[in-house]
Amino acid sequence: MRIMVLAFASFREILGKERVLFLKESATVSDLLEELAAARPAFKEAAFDDTGTLRDYVLLMVNRKRIDPTQDLSRPLQEGDELAIFPPLAGG
Amino acid sequence: MIQITETEISLDEMIKRARSKDAGAMVTFLGTVRDDGMERIEVEAFREAALMELEAIQEEAMSRFHLIAAEVVHRTGTLAVGESILAIVCSAAHREEAFSGCRYIIEELKKRAPLWKKELGEKCERWVGQTST
Repeated sequence: MRIMVLAFASFREILGKERVLFLKESATVSDLLEELAAARPAFKEAAFDDTGTLRDYVLLMVNRKRIDPTQDLSRPLQEGDELAIFPPLAGG
Repeated sequence: MIQITETEISLDEMIKRARSKDAGAMVTFLGTVRDDGMERIEVEAFREAALMELEAIQEEAMSRFHLIAAEVVHRTGTLAVGESILAIVCSAAHREEAFSGCRYIIEELKKRAPLWKKELGEKCERWVGQTST
């Protein structure tokens, strides 16, 4: 299935602003992040700690709604979903 | 009006739009680039998501504080020290509601709107609010 990945701020500098990934059906948010980590070592280093746990400053949106990385990484993705990856917000 | 723009903010235009014969108070907030030892900043937005979030915050503020109007304009792009990043204008029948609504919008914007700032100097650059990457 086709998933659009958007990256912002420091993660945009590593991954580029947007990219399309093709994942197996029933792939989860975690599967997608692992795919990105495998493709881009710099992303793996930035997003995961030494134990392979997602760092707490990695924030995620699926279809423009925030998800909780402590609970929702096993969430299955759907064809055409959009996943946004970004660091803590700093507007204003 | 909610706006994310690369062009300069006109506080006068925002005040004009927020004026009303029913308003007895208008509160404005202008966020500017502080000199924290850098030369300029870059402001980046997840535009579509940020507009949605700002519209939600605006509606909440209008409803909670009985505002007559609430205007929010956020800059993106490269800004020099002293330039305006963000302007908020709230009008209400009385000053208490206008102050509270303006305060609510800036505090919620900082927590919820997908916007980021990168400080750029001669020798270093860093994303604001991020410990590393």
